[in-house]
Amino acid sequence: MTDDAIVRVRGLTTVLNGKTIFDSLDLDIPRGKVTAIMGPSGTGKTTLLKHITGQMRGDAGSVEVDGENVPALSRERLFALRERIGYLFQNSALLTDFDVFENVAFPLRQHTRLPEELIRNIVLNKLQAVGLRGAARLMPTELSGGMARRVALARAIVFDPALILYDEPFVGLDPIALNQVLLLIRTLNETLGITSVLVAHELAAVQKVADHVYLVANGKVVAQGSPDTLATDGSPWTAQFFGGQADGPVPFQYPAGDYATALGFPGGKA
Amino acid sequence: MTTRDDNVVTRSLAQIGACGLFLVTLLRAIPRSMRHGRETIRQIWFVGAMSLTIVMTCGLFVGMVLGLQLYDVLSIFGGTSATGTVVAIAIYRELGPVVTALLFAGRAGTSVTAEIGLMRATDQLDAMEMMAVDPVAYVAAPRFLAGVVALPLLAIVFCAMGVFGGHLVGVTWLGIDNGTFWSNMTAAVDVHKDIIDGVLLKSIAFGIVVSLIAVFQGYTTPPTSEGVAYATTRTVVASSIAILALDFVLTSFLI
Repeated sequence: MTDDAIVRVRGLTTVLNGKTIFDSLDLDIPRGKVTAIMGPSGTGKTTLLKHITGQMRGDAGSVEVDGENVPALSRERLFALRERIGYLFQNSALLTDFDVFENVAFPLRQHTRLPEELIRNIVLNKLQAVGLRGAARLMPTELSGGMARRVALARAIVFDPALILYDEPFVGLDPIALNQVLLLIRTLNETLGITSVLVAHELAAVQKVADHVYLVANGKVVAQGSPDTLATDGSPWTAQFFGGQADGPVPFQYPAGDYATALGFPGGKA
Repeated sequence: MTTRDDNVVTRSLAQIGACGLFLVTLLRAIPRSMRHGRETIRQIWFVGAMSLTIVMTCGLFVGMVLGLQLYDVLSIFGGTSATGTVVAIAIYRELGPVVTALLFAGRAGTSVTAEIGLMRATDQLDAMEMMAVDPVAYVAAPRFLAGVVALPLLAIVFCAMGVFGGHLVGVTWLGIDNGTFWSNMTAAVDVHKDIIDGVLLKSIAFGIVVSLIAVFQGYTTPPTSEGVAYATTRTVVASSIAILALDFVLTSFLI
């Protein structure tokens, strides 16, 4: 556990539709670092991000962000906290009625009364940072997946947040776009001192960018450490996940009754 | 024991309850949505002005067919001079607000539901939440207000076109005296009972109901293509039933 943690999760328990997603989960996100949350599909990684941003509340436990207990916040204070958090959606979630420039300017227009010239300078500065100043007047439908994600990143950092959450930032990117996004995550972390949390499956990409990795499975943190040590620590969880084994601590089969009984064979187990 | 019918009734009641709670949220968000006045005006243009063509065309034909039918029936009793009066009263009291609301639900309500539903399906509403922008105040409330403002205006246009259609058939085509047509109509139509209660009050009530249903269905749609399709259908079905049921209730109070 870290002393200087920007996010502190303690005893988080969440049950959705009768399925336990988190079972007394403890986790710290160190300030100023890039932390990756990895784990099998359906293990609740995006759900964890939603707990951090207050989009979801657990059944028990606490989630503290920058010293504030998120589930206990009023809507006004939650919105005030979210102004300090950037969130990159897996599908970018750009506003389709607006062009690239207006998408990035949207948070500024909603929360400030800055003069138009200053808004323009800030937006162009952020678009320059993600390499898309020339695409300012394109509509979201005219962008490739990688470009849309970089626009969403520019929008997420327009307020220079203290914490930025990336939900599957590498999915569907070609090698060039992938490296661009990796470079941006690292650069933003180092130049602006932003704490980054990324949910990802791609070990090679995570090894390039992350300082610390949590492996989440069965509702708990089953392993943690630097990307290099984690990949070779020899535990059955990391061996299965990083070795890509179909069966192991994470079963291949979704929980089900006896197969012979399901097929109607006599003598199947009850 | 729970039956399928119980489930349908329970689900419908739950939907109505959720819709009522959403209305409370919506009304509380309206003062905050005033910051987005430009968005509300854009929506009035979209749901109001863009619906003018269908409303004017339908109003004209409804007035024309009404004029034709009434002339045919009234001629049996030698009362064709009352054609204008009956056309006007039928349109002002019932057909104007009701048909306009039905057209509005089909033209504007469905597009509002589909638009908000797609915003939900593509995480745009969640993105707004994450940018600390309340989507109820920014997306839902302006569209709701736009519907409440636009529907009465469209109903007035529909009524004007309907009376014009009745005049076109009765006077221009079938030869009723122009002076008789207008003087009988103006003598019989009561501004308070027929125009204010009949057209305006009803269409404001319909505007609230249709806009609420359209916005609610879009906002709560499951984030899938099938979910958006069902939500759009539900907007038309629920709005149509609500309009006709509410019309009966309002008429029974106003008559």
